[in-house]
Amino acid sequence: MKSFQKVAALLVLALVASFAVQAQVKYPTKPIQVIVPAGPGGDTDLNCRIMAKYLEKELGQPVIIVNVNGAGGSLGSRKVKDSAPDGYTALFFHPSMFLNKLMGLVDYSFVDFENAGIAVMDNTNIFVVNATSPYKNLNDYISAAKAKPGKVRFATETGGFTHLQILAFQDATGADLNVVDVGSAAQKIVALLGKQVDAIGISYGIIKDYVASGKFRVIGVMSDVRNPMIPTIPTFKEQGVNMSFPKFFYYLFPKGTPQDIVGRFSDAIAKVAANPDAQAELNKFMVSAEYMTPAVANKYMLEQETTYFKYQNLMMNAKIEKEEVKK
Amino acid sequence: MLELFAAGFASVFTLASMFMITLGVFVGIIFGSIPGLTTTMAVALCLPLTFGMPPAIAMSLLMGLYIGGTSGGLISAILINIPGTPASVATCWDGHPMASRGEAGKALGAGVVFSFLGTLLSIVALVFIAPPLAEFALLFGPVEYFALALFALTMIGTLAGKQLAKGIVVGLLGLILAFVGMAPIDAFPRFTFGIHDLDGGFDILPALIGLFAVSEILSVAESDFALKKENVLTKFKMKGFGFSVKEFLGQMYNMFRSALIGIGIGILPGIGAGTSNIVAYSVAKSQDKHPEKYGTGCLDGVVASETSNNASIGGAMVPLLTLGVPGDTVTAMILGGLMIHGLTPGPLLFISNGVVVYGIFASLIIANFVMLIMEFFGIRVFAKLLSVPKHILLPVIFALCVVGAYGLNNRVFDVWVVMLFGVIGYVLNKLKFPTSPMILGIILGPMAETGFRRGMQMNEGNFWLFFTRPIGVFFFFATVFMIVFTAVGNVRNRRKEEARA
Repeated sequence: MKSFQKVAALLVLALVASFAVQAQVKYPTKPIQVIVPAGPGGDTDLNCRIMAKYLEKELGQPVIIVNVNGAGGSLGSRKVKDSAPDGYTALFFHPSMFLNKLMGLVDYSFVDFENAGIAVMDNTNIFVVNATSPYKNLNDYISAAKAKPGKVRFATETGGFTHLQILAFQDATGADLNVVDVGSAAQKIVALLGKQVDAIGISYGIIKDYVASGKFRVIGVMSDVRNPMIPTIPTFKEQGVNMSFPKFFYYLFPKGTPQDIVGRFSDAIAKVAANPDAQAELNKFMVSAEYMTPAVANKYMLEQETTYFKYQNLMMNAKIEKEEVKK
Repeated sequence: MLELFAAGFASVFTLASMFMITLGVFVGIIFGSIPGLTTTMAVALCLPLTFGMPPAIAMSLLMGLYIGGTSGGLISAILINIPGTPASVATCWDGHPMASRGEAGKALGAGVVFSFLGTLLSIVALVFIAPPLAEFALLFGPVEYFALALFALTMIGTLAGKQLAKGIVVGLLGLILAFVGMAPIDAFPRFTFGIHDLDGGFDILPALIGLFAVSEILSVAESDFALKKENVLTKFKMKGFGFSVKEFLGQMYNMFRSALIGIGIGILPGIGAGTSNIVAYSVAKSQDKHPEKYGTGCLDGVVASETSNNASIGGAMVPLLTLGVPGDTVTAMILGGLMIHGLTPGPLLFISNGVVVYGIFASLIIANFVMLIMEFFGIRVFAKLLSVPKHILLPVIFALCVVGAYGLNNRVFDVWVVMLFGVIGYVLNKLKFPTSPMILGIILGPMAETGFRRGMQMNEGNFWLFFTRPIGVFFFFATVFMIVFTAVGNVRNRRKEEARA
């Protein structure tokens, strides 16, 4: 009887061990779902799809993109947060996650996930004006805003990345703008083309043809140094406005996903980021493959989050003021 | 331009492209005709496949899907009174009564032909006057959207007909349900009761599936359908397209008006075929000398709905290709499909990639013809659907509705939304309330609110500045006119009835 128990125990142990080994050796053994918390066709979606194309080759399993759109991306991030931590569901998102928390949409942040690292960096966050406008640079725009407080319009998507930028901008320059919501990137283009607004905050890749065709003028990019892909555009810092907002894209797994699985996925990201083909394809959309390990990414994202929360009061005040205007 | 056109056609007159167009139309019709599965979903599923293809072939497939899917919805709308996609909601209202009268062939034939003509007219508009049409989209700011939404809400009066009070109640119910979820602009959660699944509100598609498919299935399940012999099919006979030349010519004015409505609504970003079919139907009804015949199975209703929904295709392509701004959910994905091939729609696309643009035009035209041929020969096959016993057909459709609702956003919550709206639709039917005004409330409520709040932001909180925008003022006046017109008409009707009594 005892020997039977021993054998049984050994068998169980062997089984457990073999599973453990399998988990270590064989990941992934089935397709991996990557949730994009935005609709198909946007920059998050496109970046994720390009990455997926190359990740598939590295991981040897299909990487399936699932778009879960709605509620500023919080529906998608929540879905991943509540998924099984088995390494087969990941989230691909950008700094809007901090904004969701800042605006009180969610009560969690990236630290409530397992970070697999930053994969893509977008240093093309710019302010754009209509080419027929009198604003040649940031200072023209700032002085116009100071001359007519609350009259010069800036279009954003409330609670979005560009909303934070414009709050930081007003804080840094003392300009008093009429910040209006016009919706998504495509709607911003329409609003600026139709001269319904004076300036918009957007990514360069989306409007580059409008610059080339002479309809739009870029008055500054929010990066620390000039972006080599758009070397003629001066930074905000050069123009005396001390702010820089890179948009970074990262992968998160549900909390409790085994470290070696996250590590494996992260290694695959690193390989893709180093792949010249992937780089070239991402560069077409004016973004660059820039890998950060989970540890480095965590540190970087914590810093960024702190910066963002500096503007929490401003954002909340903006919200309250708006409520008052409504009343 | 002729040269570019020739080059465009040449680029799609390859075996691979033609195959993709045919495949796209075929798959599109299937997705379109099955309630719950939509054109958007067909494109979403096929989009990743196109990433590995050359641009001309990729676009062939997507255009085929778009055209096939948009017209495919008419099949189930007419045969089983369940719209295959949101674009065919209004097709049910007269298409199904026609089918139950034994005129399924005529309804289907007209639907197919006018889908074809609607697409064709919109492509003509797209090819020849896309740039000026795009300027039209630029004239629409928040104030204009607010005014347009208000005006479109008055369609409730037309749709409700004699049941005006009930129609307004249902329309308001739709507006209230549209409030659930995060408020536009400041994302303040409303009526969510702390349930995070409600943060995103009720999506339009599950709501539509519930209201029109599930409620219909419940109603049929309750009736004694099993005992009745279906005799509709035995009456099914058709020659050619099932309608006479005279009937065809009688629809010319209706067709052009509906096509214009379809193109116009297609161009405006954010709304497309799902809205245009209802608006075109309402306009046709309100302008007709005999509005009472609508809903009883008149050809005009089918023609208005099917012409306008397909006309929205060319309309939605206008801002996509000229401005890089998608006109509806399908074109939003096609935008992604173009971008991944390094083609940025916008002012330079016609110049830098003229052949691709004209290749897209050519694909649309060819896909339109393929759709016509496929559906013409398919009508007889589709009509056999009616011979499938309903106790088998409807549960299958029910399952597909659930799959479709889930597939939309990969959330089980949306399946519950289908059920909820199914029950709402069923109860409304029982109480003899019209369900269609609810759809207008759900679609137009957020559009009106967002437009109003953005307009207030732009005008620094001064509502009176809304009246400085000409297009807005036009729609405000049209709104007031429609309300007065409907009210007076109702009072007059009642007086007449009282006099008779």
